[in-house]
Amino acid sequence: MGNGVDLSFFFKPESIAIIGATEASGKISGIIMDSLASSGFQGRIYPVNPKYSSVKGYQCYPSIGAIGKVIDVAIVALPAAAVLAALEEAAHVRGAIVIGGGFSEAGQAGDALERELKSLAAKTGMRIIGPNCMGIYDTVSRLDTFFIPSERIKRPGPGHLSVLSQSGSFAVTAMDELASESTGIARVISYGNSSDVNESDFLEFLADDEHTSAVAIYLEAVEDGQRFIKAAARCAAKKPVMALKAGRGGAGGRATLSHTASIAGHYEIYRAAFKKAGVIELDGYEEFIAACKVFGARRARPSCGARVMIITDGGGVGVALADECARYGLEPVPLKKEVEDGLRSMLPRYFAVGNPLDLTGSATDEWFASSLEKTMTGDDYDVAIIAALWGPPGLTDALATGVAARAGESGKPVIICSPGGEYTRDKSRLFTGAGLPVFSTPESAVRAASILAKNAMLGEKRERKLTRKQAHNG
Amino acid sequence: MDKAATVTDTLIRETLGAGRRTLTEPETKTILRAYAIPVPRFEAVKDRETATVASASFSYPLALKVISRELTHKSEAGGVVLGIQNAKDIEDGLFEIMLNVADDAPQAIIEGFLIEEMAPRGVEVIVGALRDPVFGPAVMFGTGGLAVEILKDVTFALSPIDREDAFEMMNEVKGFGLLTGARGGGFKDLDAIADVIMKVSRIMEENVHIMELEINPLIVYRKGVLAVDARATLSVAV
Repeated sequence: MGNGVDLSFFFKPESIAIIGATEASGKISGIIMDSLASSGFQGRIYPVNPKYSSVKGYQCYPSIGAIGKVIDVAIVALPAAAVLAALEEAAHVRGAIVIGGGFSEAGQAGDALERELKSLAAKTGMRIIGPNCMGIYDTVSRLDTFFIPSERIKRPGPGHLSVLSQSGSFAVTAMDELASESTGIARVISYGNSSDVNESDFLEFLADDEHTSAVAIYLEAVEDGQRFIKAAARCAAKKPVMALKAGRGGAGGRATLSHTASIAGHYEIYRAAFKKAGVIELDGYEEFIAACKVFGARRARPSCGARVMIITDGGGVGVALADECARYGLEPVPLKKEVEDGLRSMLPRYFAVGNPLDLTGSATDEWFASSLEKTMTGDDYDVAIIAALWGPPGLTDALATGVAARAGESGKPVIICSPGGEYTRDKSRLFTGAGLPVFSTPESAVRAASILAKNAMLGEKRERKLTRKQAHNG
Repeated sequence: MDKAATVTDTLIRETLGAGRRTLTEPETKTILRAYAIPVPRFEAVKDRETATVASASFSYPLALKVISRELTHKSEAGGVVLGIQNAKDIEDGLFEIMLNVADDAPQAIIEGFLIEEMAPRGVEVIVGALRDPVFGPAVMFGTGGLAVEILKDVTFALSPIDREDAFEMMNEVKGFGLLTGARGGGFKDLDAIADVIMKVSRIMEENVHIMELEINPLIVYRKGVLAVDARATLSVAV
């Protein structure tokens, strides 16, 4: 099902129908219509509801059939029992997003409804996202079917990261958090019960999507494992793909005569699937957000490996970062002689120059920026972690732009570690604003660096396999 | 179908035909041997006479094990006697096993006995596999042999598995050092382990009726490996 079918119309719709549209405030359809208006969606909007002649200033149609034109996406904001009837006459609809719950997640009766929905999709060729989902938030097409008002859940600005989530609440929470970190988004897709279109279909689309340069997935369960591996591997060969698998318990009702089967929970098998597909495994919500930030920041760069340069004005934080590096298999390798000499010529003679590099309380904006340039220009390091503590009087608001500029020149990833209280949290916005990912603890900063290193490792493995395969075929 | 697949297929068909879902140790080892996974020299026997005849071509010491589909943990039921040095030991061993099993698991049907050459000491690892309903065959590698369920020092990979994947699996377990000379044990035959991992993966790919297959322990030496104990379960529906 769905293999190789083009889903791109969901991501550049020229016409949208909202089935169940209403003027009443606080209703799902109303929130979606408001979102479309405020996001600046450029396509045509057709409210559908036999009770109204117009909704929010748009002409309203009694049924989807009455529109009489091809509709790219129909958003169905109706109770489960009414969904099928509304879509029966939707022969000219290319795709539907069924928002409401009450399907397979809600017991036997819902299960039957979902099977009918599925066969409707198969019969008509209409593609269905959901049910029981939030749908699509898209900064490229400006489609926003997430039915939570933006004053409650902030929408991220444009970016190049796309998020796939089986869970609607997870997608929403992650979106809100990323928005407040100034991490941009290309598309967020909450696909719910995946009655028709599933994660593999979206992975196939995102693999070829020029607006997406990294993909983060929240998964609960996959139905067709082989297809998932194929789609994820194809996508991962083009851009980083990372995944969080939730719902780790359960041995899957296997006969367990062997040790193997009794040890193998669902999670071990998913982990093996991620490994097979070259997908970065994310361990929990925190790591999911960290990965989104480190791949989604405006100045995000892929890393080539595990060699870390640590620059700080706080000796203790520098040591803590180095300790964390050891825990995650990253290497704060010592400075090369000529790099060390270069730093010495800039810094006071009594400074202990090394890695971590402690710029002390005398630190200035320029010292940070120049240290970054001097250490990251050559091929000595793959990633820099900058831990700027805001105590030193020599640090100003210009620090962030200075660091960001040098980070850009190096072409390598730069991660900001910014532990501290209110003043610090306030200042850390300068870095996120400059397009750099910011982490509030040494642990989370190093973890982010380790995700980049993992990506590099997977890339090398992919290359090796490819080379061997070509040698074999040649 | 090549020879290994034919041997395996026949064995599976016979077992399923007899209404059984478990392969005994000698049956499983027959499959392993067909796929060129090294196993100790063994024979399935009925009684003292056949055991003695079989032992004539073996080198001592030998091991005697009960064959019974009802016994998942043979040694816990007293179904294993090690260090057999002569014909007298064989006779004593068979009695001991029968008494132990009658005592410990009276419901177990004894189908016969496995007599085999004892494997020298080495590092014990486990290579197992299962067929996941969503992702297909998954192979497990771990250290600790018999202590695997306590230590859980294991990793999984999905089929197909190439040599690099197999080495990656070995690298992923904490006990990898036991195979590379930690504690003065000397460097073990990692290539031979990789062969077993890849072959187990192949067995799972080629024989869709096998649901679980486990070699535990696989004993690893400086040169070579030996699958000392093994079991498999089947499924009727595919």
